[in-house]
Amino acid sequence: MNALDRIGVKVVAAADLPTGNVKALLHELAELLDAWLQRGEVASIDLRSLPLSLGDYEELRAALGEGAVSASVEAIGASEVRESRYPGVWRVTHRNEAGEVVADLIEVCALPEILRAPVEDAAGGLIRLKETLQ
Amino acid sequence: MTTLGDSLLASGISRRAFLKFCTALTSLMALPPGMAPAVAQALAKAKRPSVIWLSFQECTGCTESLTRTSSPTLENLILDMVSLDYHHTLQAAAGFAAEEAREHAMKEFDGKYLLLVDGSIPTGDGGIYGTWGGESFVDILEQSVKGAAAVVAIGSCASFGGLPKANPNPTGARAVSDLVKNKPVINVPGCPPIAVVMTGVLAHYLTFGRIPELDAQGRPVAFYGETIHDRCYRRPFYDQGKFAKTFDDEGARSGWCLYELGCKGPITHNACATVKWNAGTSFPIQSGHGCLGCSEPDFWDKGSFYKALATTSWGDAATLGAAAAVGVAAGAAAAWMARGRQDRIAKEK
Repeated sequence: MNALDRIGVKVVAAADLPTGNVKALLHELAELLDAWLQRGEVASIDLRSLPLSLGDYEELRAALGEGAVSASVEAIGASEVRESRYPGVWRVTHRNEAGEVVADLIEVCALPEILRAPVEDAAGGLIRLKETLQ
Repeated sequence: MTTLGDSLLASGISRRAFLKFCTALTSLMALPPGMAPAVAQALAKAKRPSVIWLSFQECTGCTESLTRTSSPTLENLILDMVSLDYHHTLQAAAGFAAEEAREHAMKEFDGKYLLLVDGSIPTGDGGIYGTWGGESFVDILEQSVKGAAAVVAIGSCASFGGLPKANPNPTGARAVSDLVKNKPVINVPGCPPIAVVMTGVLAHYLTFGRIPELDAQGRPVAFYGETIHDRCYRRPFYDQGKFAKTFDDEGARSGWCLYELGCKGPITHNACATVKWNAGTSFPIQSGHGCLGCSEPDFWDKGSFYKALATTSWGDAATLGAAAAVGVAAGAAAAWMARGRQDRIAKEK
């Protein structure tokens, strides 16, 4: 036991505890999923714009669970795409090359945009493919 | 002049990576994620703007905050997107060569460059308290503003006068907006401002070619639209009336609200509670210390940092009650109760 350990401080990391905000978020997701099914409106929520504690993130992860699809994308850093146990509700986490989260979203749609091959990239790919065939 | 989209694609960045970058940028600018395609479209067409950064009565803390950001990819990409043509601390040139660089940029990008200013401007006694190259800060600001498209006041000193303006303000320090009347001025206060807030404002100008929506104090609404208190994770304790009374009591250890220990969160507009500091690690309240209100005008002169708001000169109990009511969670009844609580605390002190 060192000197620091003998100081009688009780550490309660309140910032880590759930705040109850996840319940509100899940209600919003239900609304968004309904809007997508009824009217075909896709939507996304920027998780970092919400006051979520570490405990909230843990609670959200458990609430969304694991769905049928999970994918990773390499584009100036890794991006993870995971479908939740509610089909059409996706957690999309974008990281930079240093591995830091630069955007953390929940998307409500058939397929998150990042998974689609952009036509510009496909056109470049076609050129490369033809070169290999020459 | 090539567009940003061209130069990004030329540097080998795929369209998919560009779209991801725009998603991250949209999040950084605190815009709704649905705007990412619009950001991509605008950015692809945007031109690389010239930026002139003037440092007056300042401590270089704002530059430190900006350059010590720890998400290199995104921040660097944004900084790479501007042509930083003059910055005392960062430029290699000195003396006449440095001033020449500024004059050259002002001439070449007349009417188009973005002028960034950190530090207040001493206007007392003919402006003699701040000079470089024999010219007063007042004159240099006036010259540099002429051809600027817009002025960004970085930090509380440039935005509101800050510490140099603290009573008795011996140098007659003034804010940028006190002196610049004929150009749009964006205030980005904070001591220092959060790095991503600075880059977010730059990114907004870069992307859309115009200044973001501002509040009555000239601050971008996207970052300063809510108070620290509105987004504080300790807010539920405030609503429950659970307060730390000293820095080492049971309440402090349990992470209760720091209002009675002088937290200025309820009247301070900034993004600390959501964006946080040091790559999203923490912010003062999370570290157990109340908010000082550093992004508000004259925070230095408004009474003790360690006295409850209601006992300081930040405003009367009625406006504090109104501030509390802004919170989404607080209905009229909660705000009324909170106001009663503030009055009670004021009487006890």
